[in-house]
Amino acid sequence: MSENGVTLRVEGVTKRFGDFTAVEDLSFEVRAGRVFGFLGPNGAGKTTTIRMIVGITIPDEGKIELFGERMSAILQDRIGYLPEERGLYKKMKIVDQLRYFAALKDVSGAEADKRIDFWLERMNLAEWKNKKTTDLSKGMQQKIQFISTVLHNPDLLILDEPFSGLDPVNVEFMIDVLAEFKKQDKTVIFSTHLMETAERLCHDIILINKSKKVVGGSLREVKESYGKNRIALRATGGEAVLADTSLVAKFDAHADEKEIGLAAGADAQVLLHRLIESGATITKFEQVEPSLNDIFIEQVGGHDGNA
Amino acid sequence: MRKFLAVVKHEYKKVVYKWTFLLGTLLFPVIGACFAIVPAVIFSIKGEPTRIVIVDKTNKIAPRLKENLSAEKIVAKGEDAAKNANLTDSQNDRMRQSAKQAAEGFVFVNFDAAGKTPDRIRSELNEKAVAKEIDAYLLVPDNIEAVDAKFEFLSRKAGDFVAGDLIKDALNEAVRSQRLSDAHISEVAVKQLSAKVDLDSKAIDEQGREKDSDMLLAASFAIGLMIYIALAIYGQVIMGAVVEEKETRIAEILFSSARPFELMMGKLIGVGLAGLTQMGIWVASIVALLAFLAVQSDLSPMFAGLPHITPLMVFYFLLFFLLGYFIYASIFALIGSMVTTVQEGGQFALPVTMLLLVGFYFSFAVIRDPNSNLSFWVSISPFFAPLAMPVRIMAETPPVWQIALSVGINALAIAGLVWLASRVYRVGMLMYGKRATIPEVWKWIRQA
Repeated sequence: MSENGVTLRVEGVTKRFGDFTAVEDLSFEVRAGRVFGFLGPNGAGKTTTIRMIVGITIPDEGKIELFGERMSAILQDRIGYLPEERGLYKKMKIVDQLRYFAALKDVSGAEADKRIDFWLERMNLAEWKNKKTTDLSKGMQQKIQFISTVLHNPDLLILDEPFSGLDPVNVEFMIDVLAEFKKQDKTVIFSTHLMETAERLCHDIILINKSKKVVGGSLREVKESYGKNRIALRATGGEAVLADTSLVAKFDAHADEKEIGLAAGADAQVLLHRLIESGATITKFEQVEPSLNDIFIEQVGGHDGNA
Repeated sequence: MRKFLAVVKHEYKKVVYKWTFLLGTLLFPVIGACFAIVPAVIFSIKGEPTRIVIVDKTNKIAPRLKENLSAEKIVAKGEDAAKNANLTDSQNDRMRQSAKQAAEGFVFVNFDAAGKTPDRIRSELNEKAVAKEIDAYLLVPDNIEAVDAKFEFLSRKAGDFVAGDLIKDALNEAVRSQRLSDAHISEVAVKQLSAKVDLDSKAIDEQGREKDSDMLLAASFAIGLMIYIALAIYGQVIMGAVVEEKETRIAEILFSSARPFELMMGKLIGVGLAGLTQMGIWVASIVALLAFLAVQSDLSPMFAGLPHITPLMVFYFLLFFLLGYFIYASIFALIGSMVTTVQEGGQFALPVTMLLLVGFYFSFAVIRDPNSNLSFWVSISPFFAPLAMPVRIMAETPPVWQIALSVGINALAIAGLVWLASRVYRVGMLMYGKRATIPEVWKWIRQA
């Protein structure tokens, strides 16, 4: 199923539109059977990269390998792609649309019908089979679109903002469905703005900003690379120590807890030692790893405000 | 290839399985028939009779005029005309019917004008007209023999041109007869001497066969109109289908499954087959209708005049329809992928529709003189040939090399346009939000 354990390899890919460079020298790997988060603010180059991966556009430089082969039209049938901008034919019966989308992925006839029935059942939409798109709610349409991306049983699923427009119940439902894919050793790439969801689902991530990779790797590695420079502190006294800018770069007082960002090169142990020396009463001193959201804001928010 | 066929099937079904397709297929012949029949029906509807006063102090014109407006006279005149036109019995019947109706449309009201001044007569008659006692009156001057004699016809129903025309004709004839008899010239002799020459106009084709030119004109016009309408409709269908996929953002899903070229060609061919299906139904029903009419013996003389339509002509007709379809459909597809809504597309489509219309008008020039230089150039040039060539073939089949040349030139034009359209399609379909400008489109064509 997964050649050498790597489903997708993007190597030194660059894409330009006229003078504008949408993606610059981007490299990453997606391993089989993992959920890969493709993160970045609007306009970072996510959609452009995804379009190159699914073969809609071709990179100007670099190469894209899927399942150990150079990307080609034949490989498209092994990908299920749910674009961020997606739709359905307005006045066509759901079953006819799904048949058409399946046929375009080379699944037709009885096999297609069998799978359509299975998925409509799975998504609790069986009674909508012969209805038209305009009769469906936005959330239902969303699910139909998802069905159209998995009908051909793809080995790689690429979902661009898959949860937008879904209510929390359906988000949970979709996450369950994705978990099944994971179990079948299929690869899922998904792009989202919701860092909490990404943190919950992804094994690996890449964060891109302004057409370049900012950080990438397994979620653990990424978090560790940002070090444990945050401390949750519950204490009385020690204000003088906390005012020392050689130790503390950031200081946020919450209701009963202080969140401290260590200054560059400062050691948490030194801070703890100094606080005890100063006579402060410490009830909590915990080194916290940064959340994906913190990393995102730190990497992206500092450069421009639109994150 | 399988995907391509899936696209063709999808697009074909999308057009043909719609109730509008059935409606259009049935409605087109009905509308065509309406154009031929409705005006005749409307004019045959009998209005209220026109009550008319004739003021004629000389009393020379009034009796003749009344006679001319009598039913017998109008019918007789109609029959005279019919004799020249070689009408069939049923047409004759219809004409006699309408002549009778026309004659019943007049009621003569007596009016005593003796001893009254012209001004007095006028004011009295105007009052009667206002009181709706009479509808119209005719003032005959005293000096009827003078060339500049002025007759006056005043009517409440000024718009009733049918009645007006009848009165004018009848009056002319009455005055002419009176003048002839005043000059002592026999009216019968004049009529005989001034009888119309029987000019039977027929075209001779290259094979030396005779064709009836009136029928030819009608048939050529019908074919030109049919192609024009079909091209305009199916062009819009293509544009609508392209815009829908762009507007609903389906394009991106499609592009991740099949090549844009496959998708666009599949669309062109699928919708084209739907158009051909409709054309086929129309052609088949026309052939069936003609065959049926040929069996009805009393109508066959009328249809014997129809140009002889060979299977080869039908083939050419469908071939040029297809050439035209691909030329205009690819332009419409190009426009569809540039714009963001159907309404916006409509604005861009206008010049294309005009181009189509120019081609339609050119086909009139071709009917008039199928062998002129203009006809030659128009019938081989792209954009116009799909309309002009079938009309020209119908009017007078040109040498095969010219038809082949026309097909070749148009096939080349199609190749170029499809190439252009597919490049715009590839890029344009994924550009959301705003309409592309011409320089942008040019950039896509070069870059894609």
